[in-house]
Amino acid sequence: MTNGNTGAVAGRRVAGAEPRTVYHSPPAVLAGLASLATTVDHKRIGILYGVTAFAFFLLGGLEALLIRTQLLRPHLGVVSAETYNALFTMHGTTMVFLAIMPLNAAFFNYVIPLMIGARDVAFPRLNALSYWIFLAGGLFLNASFLFGTPPDAGWFGYANLTTRPFSPGPAIDYWMLSLQILGASSIIAAVNFIATILNMRAPGMTLMRMPLFVWMALVVQFLIVLAFPAVTVGLIFLLFDRFFGTHFYDVSAGGDLHLWQHLFWIFGHPEVYILILPAFGIVSEVLPTFSRKPLFGAQVMIYSGILIGFFGFGVWSHHMFTVGMGPIADSAFAIATMIIAIPTGVKIFNWLATMWGGRLRPSVAFHYAAGLVALFTIGGLSGVMHASPPVDLQQHDSYFVVAHMHYVLIGGSLFGIFAGLYYWWPKMTGRMLDERLGRLQFWLVAVGFNVAFFPQHFLGALGMPRRIYTYSRGSGWELWNFVSTLGAYVLGLGVLVFVVVAIRSLRTAGARASGDPWDGRTLEWRTSSPPPAHDFDAIPPVYGRDTFWREKYGDARGQKPAPRVETPDPHGIHLPSPSGWPLVIALGLAVAAFGAIYHLALVVIGAGLTVIGAFAFALEHHRNPAHVEQVGNLGVDHRKLAMWTFLGSECFLFGTLIATYLAYKGRSVVGPQPHEILNIPLTTLSTFDLLMSSLLMVLALAAVQRGDRRQARLWLAGTALFGAIFLAFQAYEFTAFVHEGLTLQTNLFGSTFFVLTGFHGGHVTIGVLWLLALLVLDLRGRLGVQDATKVEVAGLYWHFVDVVWIVIFTVVYLIP
Amino acid sequence: MALGGCAWDTPMSTVVARSDFARAILHVYSIVTWVTGIIGVLVFALLILVLVRFRARPGDTTLPQQARGQTLLEIAWTIAPALALLIIAIPTIQVVFRTQSAATAPDALQVTVRGWQWWWEFRYPQLDIVTANELHLPAGRRVVVTLNGPDVIHSFWLPQLGGKRDVIPGRVNHVTLTPEQPGEYWGQCAEFCGASHANMGMRAIVQPAADFERWVAQQQAAPAEPSGPAAAGKAIFAGSACVGCHTIKGFSAGVLAPDLTHFGSRTMLAAGMWPNTPENVAEWVKDPQRLKPGVKMPALGLTDEQAKAIAAYLTSLK
Amino acid sequence: MTAHPAHASTGTYLKVAVILSVITALEFAVIYIRRLTPILIPLLLTLSAGKFALVVMFFMHLRYDTKPLTFLFVSSLVLAIGVAVAVATLPGEFLIFTR
Repeated sequence: MTNGNTGAVAGRRVAGAEPRTVYHSPPAVLAGLASLATTVDHKRIGILYGVTAFAFFLLGGLEALLIRTQLLRPHLGVVSAETYNALFTMHGTTMVFLAIMPLNAAFFNYVIPLMIGARDVAFPRLNALSYWIFLAGGLFLNASFLFGTPPDAGWFGYANLTTRPFSPGPAIDYWMLSLQILGASSIIAAVNFIATILNMRAPGMTLMRMPLFVWMALVVQFLIVLAFPAVTVGLIFLLFDRFFGTHFYDVSAGGDLHLWQHLFWIFGHPEVYILILPAFGIVSEVLPTFSRKPLFGAQVMIYSGILIGFFGFGVWSHHMFTVGMGPIADSAFAIATMIIAIPTGVKIFNWLATMWGGRLRPSVAFHYAAGLVALFTIGGLSGVMHASPPVDLQQHDSYFVVAHMHYVLIGGSLFGIFAGLYYWWPKMTGRMLDERLGRLQFWLVAVGFNVAFFPQHFLGALGMPRRIYTYSRGSGWELWNFVSTLGAYVLGLGVLVFVVVAIRSLRTAGARASGDPWDGRTLEWRTSSPPPAHDFDAIPPVYGRDTFWREKYGDARGQKPAPRVETPDPHGIHLPSPSGWPLVIALGLAVAAFGAIYHLALVVIGAGLTVIGAFAFALEHHRNPAHVEQVGNLGVDHRKLAMWTFLGSECFLFGTLIATYLAYKGRSVVGPQPHEILNIPLTTLSTFDLLMSSLLMVLALAAVQRGDRRQARLWLAGTALFGAIFLAFQAYEFTAFVHEGLTLQTNLFGSTFFVLTGFHGGHVTIGVLWLLALLVLDLRGRLGVQDATKVEVAGLYWHFVDVVWIVIFTVVYLIP
Repeated sequence: MALGGCAWDTPMSTVVARSDFARAILHVYSIVTWVTGIIGVLVFALLILVLVRFRARPGDTTLPQQARGQTLLEIAWTIAPALALLIIAIPTIQVVFRTQSAATAPDALQVTVRGWQWWWEFRYPQLDIVTANELHLPAGRRVVVTLNGPDVIHSFWLPQLGGKRDVIPGRVNHVTLTPEQPGEYWGQCAEFCGASHANMGMRAIVQPAADFERWVAQQQAAPAEPSGPAAAGKAIFAGSACVGCHTIKGFSAGVLAPDLTHFGSRTMLAAGMWPNTPENVAEWVKDPQRLKPGVKMPALGLTDEQAKAIAAYLTSLK
Repeated sequence: MTAHPAHASTGTYLKVAVILSVITALEFAVIYIRRLTPILIPLLLTLSAGKFALVVMFFMHLRYDTKPLTFLFVSSLVLAIGVAVAVATLPGEFLIFTR
């Protein structure tokens, strides 16, 4: 399925020069499944994401149909209460984490490198790793069905219902562990895409010239990187409560149940923007293409996306208007939520203005995009209603919210995804989707969806609560439940018809697609459908925003840019080598997760697989270093940019850990108290030790950079040694505390102290191992001047762990 | 309500307001609905206009004018929504502060609500009354409801009497309201709390002052001595595990389950699941786990006779 | 390799290390001085912030690196601090923020 032609722009090539694709990292001679299991090609990974996510989407849809069937009439008894509770839990968790997010990721993977004129992402093997970890997490979560213990406390899992006393079996463990696994997948991918988008754009593609889809994706990656740590921490607390007897969500020990809700929604609200912004990006590509005019107010659209992302971090407690935060907090979050509606509304108006005065071609992709404009308006407006706390006191946890969320998630996210599917299907498969059947499919989905969910506004207004497996006659809810269920079936049928449309297009009789079937505006249409493995024969020229359109039709005055001679890269095209280690690492995580539930031995085996896989992954290419230039548009090495991005995420991780320590300070019901047990003089010494280790680290880096191998070894070893000394101090402190009666389980102070400092110590340990690995590399003569970036990146991590300790030392030890 | 009238008057309706709290909410609800409704209609009208008017004529390959943007328009449609939101924001903040006043009226009726898996405990500390699942309130008098709970998070919601407030173990929440119209109001737990979350209903009976006083007196009085089959039922009750969980004043002192002292005076059984009739009670007592998933009340292996006797006893506790 | 950005010298690193040690010693001493108790918390926070900034700017090289990197880290840090303050104060009765 690879061919080397570049589609629509014939006549641009230098006569006689044939593209020369030289694979300097020869593709392994693998076939079929083995090739798929080791692929690092962003296009194939994108398709893996898409197919896997669609399968989970169908599963989540089945769960939904069971839910709606049960609610067709009062007391129907199609499923038991326990099964129903598991169904809505799995439906929500599946749709959010296993369907919508990875379907978005499918597009990120396939389209972004093409749109920015790159040949792949910044870290292709890490890209594969994200996919395999996602698959592992999704399979692990659904394995709970096989063992008869699916999670059943909602996708949002409020403590303390999720704590061991109230959820004794493994059901919640499945939910908790799979979310951690899936979170890792998302964060890794996000770091990758940030580095890609910021650093791998083709020459001439400034940030403001990037397509809107890439911009929205960029905002989404930052949201992922910064928001996931909060739920990671919340889940860590739950994990420790459930497995190790800590008291984070233990009311009798002084725990506060608001804590879970804050941590969850600090993640949860940015998460909804993670779910919708890609769809917004797709609409911003589809509407201009099928209106034959540019996106109206493109700059404003970019800024509004950034504002939505940024302010999205300030509204989370609008999910908590009923918990009793007090009128000041309620009002603050209400106003912040209303403010966020403004940039969202601006987008709707700009989309309308894009279509205004256009020549609208009603392709199916356009149907879905226009549909999103209509349906997201409804969903957004019901969201504005929720923003008012008094109104929300009636609407919260009722079917009104169910209606709102499905309007924004189906009418918004899913319609965006379908628009993207119909739009990019030709590019990805080289085939066209049947437009007539596609229009039928659209109407089935659109009608079915509205019949299913508009009446749920009424159900909410009539007081029907959420998450109830049945309801009584006389409640007044019978009619609309009946109607809603019928609509759901039509919606389900519409989804199945898409499968038919898709399969038909892939058959031999399916119509072939050219490189540019829609007369597109962006760079992905400037190569064949599907693109060759190396995406572009020559990196495309960039003339402005909508660069490909400009090339074809000229700028505002119709003036076409001067043709540039495209010469293929004389060094040939380097493609990254496939790797089997991502799959091994992901497998290890899944095995360890099963072990956490069933047997410690599996945890050891799984962890071993993951660690070995990680080392093998890291050292895989040290004999065959990348020839490709790794410094990008920002003038920074990809790896350095990636590390700084990761450290931003770590700010949130440690920030929430430290904040929890402070929130719980003084709330322990029994002793010992901090001032009775903390050894400040000793800890001051260990702080000094860690600070000095940072000094040794910068000396090590300086030595590597000037090629002084002897000093490099000395300072690297010294840093590792000082790090080990810090760990020794900590080990001594922990054992002393246990002796004096303070353990994880003793009280809130024990829980927060050991988890906070323990996780920090874990970070130090990883750092020491990292340094030792670099030392080993150096001893083998493989740490020369050209490898300085590796040491620099390790140093950034090390120093960050140091500054986190600076904060912990002050907040935990010094401040009384 | 403007559209539909009686169709909205269902037992759990959020748009029928029978207390000052509910009316304050409904006032903001109406404003918000009008504002969002108008905006919605406007956007839809524009969209339909655009889709119809600018559809490409078949065969037309010309390009439209390639407009890129217009700053004035951007400003206009940033400010307009902001103003619309202001119309919503002002009454919102006013009602937030008005309905969450910390000060309690000294003459208010105090009710402590404890949410359990899966029933509601109601205590009247001023009146020394403890009951379950059925709340009686005097019309026209302010009530301060104090919410807490011993197990998981629940949410106390009587829609026609106002918005919901969560029951959060370890914390105390308050709702202040003055019911205005006598009647029977339905309520339900609105925060997922486990297997029988769907079965955690309640009733609020708002009564004229005189009727309320009569109810209070009845609840404060000692339960009548049973006779006939009810007496047999009392004997069975005394000898069973029932006494370990339930309180019947002067007779048993369990504190893990609903107070049954005046169980016979309640209209519903098992937190709003069925009407409180001897037949239903007998069936419930025989096998509660089958009827209410996850319920903590065990089946005691009672025969039909025993169950009927206990039902006679319990329904006699007026 | 592309041209190296400006660099701190070994001397600068040593100076920073000394300052860090001095501040740490000060922090340790300050908690025992009764006269300072009223301003202890802001004082300690300021001293730590100073150490934090020194390590980030010099050891992590941010002072000499390209501006986007600084923007990236500082905005994440600011957001994280905002969220952390909210988590620390909203649920419980922390410091002066009693509900």
